[in-house]
Amino acid sequence: MPALFFPRRYPPLLRVAAFVLLSIVIAALSEKHPNMLNWSGNLTYPIHWLDLQATKNWRTVGEYLQDRRSLLAENAQLREKLKSLEPKLLENEILHNENRQLLALLDSFPQPPGRMAVAQVIAENFSPGSQLITVNLGSHNGVHVGQPVLAAGGVAGQVIHVADLSAQIALISDLDSSIPAQLAGTNLPLLVNGKGNIHWLSVPFQPRNTTLKAGDQLVTSGLGGRFPSGLHIGTISRVIHNGDEPFAQISVRPAVPLGQLTTVLILLKNKPTSRPDKA
Amino acid sequence: MNAIAIVIAFSLAMALETLPSGPVYGMIHPDFVAMLLLYWSIRSGSELSYTVVWLIGLLQDMMMGDVPGGQAVASVLMVYALVNGLGRVRHLSVWEQLVFIFMLLFAHRLIVWSWQLWSAPVSWHFSLLLSPLMGALLWPLFTYLLDYLRHHLKASS
Repeated sequence: MPALFFPRRYPPLLRVAAFVLLSIVIAALSEKHPNMLNWSGNLTYPIHWLDLQATKNWRTVGEYLQDRRSLLAENAQLREKLKSLEPKLLENEILHNENRQLLALLDSFPQPPGRMAVAQVIAENFSPGSQLITVNLGSHNGVHVGQPVLAAGGVAGQVIHVADLSAQIALISDLDSSIPAQLAGTNLPLLVNGKGNIHWLSVPFQPRNTTLKAGDQLVTSGLGGRFPSGLHIGTISRVIHNGDEPFAQISVRPAVPLGQLTTVLILLKNKPTSRPDKA
Repeated sequence: MNAIAIVIAFSLAMALETLPSGPVYGMIHPDFVAMLLLYWSIRSGSELSYTVVWLIGLLQDMMMGDVPGGQAVASVLMVYALVNGLGRVRHLSVWEQLVFIFMLLFAHRLIVWSWQLWSAPVSWHFSLLLSPLMGALLWPLFTYLLDYLRHHLKASS
């Protein structure tokens, strides 16, 4: 195959060094201009489309092969779950009505949650350095960088790159992810950072004598305007007060099963003007 | 190798890299693109174009959403090491190649990991070792399958 950029007369080591240098320049530029490579999503879309088709077919085969006994067991399990959720649903409805009455008293109306879009996960990248998913909606569907992404249970992440037909989402477990949070029912401001592990998040900069304890629920605080307030992020699973460390080590279990996402909800409400939240 | 077959093979390898099959697959799956580059490098008699190798790596970076350049540099260095440093690997049997393939895939993984440190403090993870190990273990099957397809394509054309 003929050399495209460098004629073969240059020694291989020189060509390799040139490519290393070029890569460093591209990496430095992409750090400075994070949206520089958004267009690349269009280039890689056919490959992601292949992923989507493969996953769809695999699920269809799996569903077809599911035997009667497992379907009956699943049915019984879902009926039990429905029974346990019915009282909660009723309670929710009562609270909802009460909330509307209170808001009416305050002469204010609840803000509509904004437009939401259901997106399908078409690719994943779970490495220690990246916790990213790619979905089948892009700028053509109104998706923009920085929009919050939800899944069953709570917050899943936010959009970091957008192409015409696809978008890349950094999960809340990504090392670059940081969400303004608070303890449910209080105004205690906190941050929840990703640790590069889908099972654990962390709460940094809490003193050793922190009142946070295992079992506490964390929700979004709405600070920064990126995420609506009150969305469930996770539950504190462990607080370690190490005598030598200046801060307590707090682990949080995400509310969303980040490793099993097949569909997500993207809040299309606003078109942001700045980069996504970073720590 | 036929150019269309190469494009299809790399597209499939890249699709396998990002297949949404959960975190366990994400952590342990072998780097199929790197394996294909090694196979291509070993089977083609002449030296590969580093430009093509670099572009494939860059495309992979873009697809994975990583800091661009990591896969590209790792792929170029890996092919350079194979062609110039470990040239004799070509003449070994597939089973004897296993150790060298593991070393090259591990070096590739380490370079990509180091590149990610550019943007985030990525900690060491056992998958950095598992993925090259899986790649090396699958190497005989991988080469057998691709050899079979190559011969089949040659015979039909």
